[in-house]
Amino acid sequence: MIRPVSLGLCLALLVACQSTGDSERDNLRQDAAIAALESGERGVAMYCARILTVDDEDRVISPGLIVTRGGKIEYVGPPVDVPEGYERRDYGDLWAVPGMIDLHTHVHTGGWGDINSSHNHVNPELSASVAMVPANPLLQRAASSGVTTLFGIPGSGTSMGGFGLLYKARTSGGYEDSVIADPAGLKVAQTHNPDRNANALVRSWAGLGWMLEQINDKAIAATERDIFDPQLVDLQRVLTGELPVLIHCAGSEGVANTVRMWRINYPTRSILSHGSFDGWQVADFVAEHGMPVNHGPRIMDYYSSRTGRVEPTALVYWEASGPNFSLNTDSQIIAQDEFFLQGSMAARQGADSYQMLRAVTIHPARAFGFGDRLGSLEVGKDADIVIWTGDPLDPRSHVEFVLIDGEEQYDKQEDGQWS
Amino acid sequence: MIPMKSLSTLLFATLVCAPLSAFQASPPKAGEPGGPGLAIKSAKILTCTLEGRGVVDRGVLLVHDGKIAAIGEARSTTIPEGYELVDVGNQWLMPGLIDLHCHAGAIESLLVNDLNDGVFLANPGLRAFVAAKPGNKRLELGLQAGVTSVLVIPGSGTNVGGWGVLLKTGHDRFEEMLIRNPGSLKVAQWGNPESWGPGVGKSMENWTIGDTFERGLGYAQRWAEFERNGGEEPLVDPQWEIFRHLLAKNTQASVHTQMYQVVLQTIMQLKGEFGIDVYIDHGSIGAWRAGDIAEEMGVPAIIGPRTTDTIARGFINWGQLSAEDVGFRGLAAGYQQRGLKLIGFNTDSPVISQAELQLQAGIAVRYGFDDSEMAAVKGLTIVPATAAGIADRIGSLEVGKDADILVISGHPADPRSAVERVWLDGEDVYNSAREHRRW
Repeated sequence: MIRPVSLGLCLALLVACQSTGDSERDNLRQDAAIAALESGERGVAMYCARILTVDDEDRVISPGLIVTRGGKIEYVGPPVDVPEGYERRDYGDLWAVPGMIDLHTHVHTGGWGDINSSHNHVNPELSASVAMVPANPLLQRAASSGVTTLFGIPGSGTSMGGFGLLYKARTSGGYEDSVIADPAGLKVAQTHNPDRNANALVRSWAGLGWMLEQINDKAIAATERDIFDPQLVDLQRVLTGELPVLIHCAGSEGVANTVRMWRINYPTRSILSHGSFDGWQVADFVAEHGMPVNHGPRIMDYYSSRTGRVEPTALVYWEASGPNFSLNTDSQIIAQDEFFLQGSMAARQGADSYQMLRAVTIHPARAFGFGDRLGSLEVGKDADIVIWTGDPLDPRSHVEFVLIDGEEQYDKQEDGQWS
Repeated sequence: MIPMKSLSTLLFATLVCAPLSAFQASPPKAGEPGGPGLAIKSAKILTCTLEGRGVVDRGVLLVHDGKIAAIGEARSTTIPEGYELVDVGNQWLMPGLIDLHCHAGAIESLLVNDLNDGVFLANPGLRAFVAAKPGNKRLELGLQAGVTSVLVIPGSGTNVGGWGVLLKTGHDRFEEMLIRNPGSLKVAQWGNPESWGPGVGKSMENWTIGDTFERGLGYAQRWAEFERNGGEEPLVDPQWEIFRHLLAKNTQASVHTQMYQVVLQTIMQLKGEFGIDVYIDHGSIGAWRAGDIAEEMGVPAIIGPRTTDTIARGFINWGQLSAEDVGFRGLAAGYQQRGLKLIGFNTDSPVISQAELQLQAGIAVRYGFDDSEMAAVKGLTIVPATAAGIADRIGSLEVGKDADILVISGHPADPRSAVERVWLDGEDVYNSAREHRRW
């Protein structure tokens, strides 16, 4: 837990740092003396050649020091004195980068299916967490590739798959150690999949839309009339804006309908996921309505381009949505440990490489409402820190060391290279 | 109705003017055969010579008649009169990439699969070139990601798949594309041909390959004997013709092979016993342990589409890694650490997209392949050219070689580096500023 007072202090200090000159800034940071640990408390001081903070100023600190204490980041900046008691780690030429956040994943079950119960076509009562296998091998792969937080969700075989959980890619421990929020948010599949196993009604976009509106209206009525229905309690929290909803959609008509339904007709904290095929053609419409785009696993369009050539869709969405653009793997559609590569390949298409690092860290954190806790290396945030041999979006780089909540998850020297 | 008179005028115009207009086609551009010279200036030229690092900083490259005429530092290289100058600024120059394991040239869509006739378990007479056509979309995709030459080969559904064909990707006619036919004899040592039918396993496959090579080389030797000493002319048998090329070392066996003991067969039987030129394709599943023997016997390894060995999962030990091994093993690094020098990369396209050959080298470096002497770059260029016996023509930027040149925005093993321009035999075949990127 972050105590509000200390977070406020830290923020005030950060603001002060920005408005002062270099020498004063150094003094201030020296003044922000790192407190000695209390007995039983654990803290780590990590020295490295370069820190990519991915904060709002995009600070790059070289050389840098990160100090963690009790699972949170206590200090980020140039090397300063650290009291006795902190575990010191010298990473030499290596880089420190925030852990990546993937908002569209299915690896919580460990890869043995079990992600899509489809007894009804709308299942707002279902929860992905019952199928979660903490610290499963795929999560070990995730952590070893620098992915530290995942939104684990039901599949898209039905229109409303149920609720997912937000959790950390811990390589040991149980449910309580990993899970941040459960239920964390709803999974909806607007078009292009729920129609496949459908009966006559939901074989068409019209039928799919009708089913979703019907259940939404029931949930709104339940809130208005204070009716308790166990199937609807969590959906009500989505429709009141308490929980986010991630919407699988594709095609320009599917994407446009998603915006109309979940941003205009039912104003929600909705996030657009995939947006594949020719969905990029309405990228500006999505951006106009402020809907975050969580793009992937396919980040190019081979099929519906009017030019008959490959359309660089990640580039198009990023240009339209900027900080509202993030990437995903839909793991294991793309292997969970290749999340970084989604950023590399988007950069290959012409998107700015550093912005694609933001698109796998702070952008998804903010889209999901956890921007104050995850996604960048800043004082007071969770100590989810990944030590890389170089630029994380360069496939020639690899991960050497991973901390989650200040605790060691992966060490290449001991564990071998996992991704 | 068209009046007769005007029709005859039209006919006359067509007959006379058609050849005229062909004759008046635009003259060859700078760098093209018959055209003026072309000088390209760049911040960094990766020459990709087999020896040395092969890097020229602030260099200039001269192209004339489709060939490389000179290469050197800009300050000490004189650009001859009449050369057209192209300055690519901070972008790099390098030779076109070469993929020695390509099926995409014969499978334009998944609906048309022309590369694996599996009537017999050994088909040395089949020829992949009949399925190759210019303008293939997948090859165009590869061209724009810098792949200028490919070996299109039959699949691995049988032990001996037939003739591969070495092609350039960006020309309009097959005859212009053709580098060499047969480009190789495709052999699949193990790890797919067993799906041909029941009872086919390593022993049967080994016998089939050995038997085919014994017969084929016997045929080739009868022809060699006739060509040396005359006598009765042997009958031509298209089934065995490729062995004349193999015996004369005009082509190689490109061998789908994986697992240590199988790769050992590839090296010791095909290269050792039969004495023909061979290179390893794939080379996965623990086969990197044979890297020292491959070096000793002169057998290059062209790695991909899989670039790592994984640890045991359940009862399948895919990587043939021991219980003490932790993590994943990079294949290229495994061969390199055992002393093999000729290590290249392939895509097995469309298994990995033809446009992602670069990435194969990047992943090799990720898993420990030492690139300090530009081995990752050479593995995309001069190493495959050497393995395929065409290093006298392509694979590096050296005087006299084909002007297959890429302009790339950075290190080719980083997929964020984009290919901006491609010249093929001195012809400007791709320019990202002119054409929309296709990948």
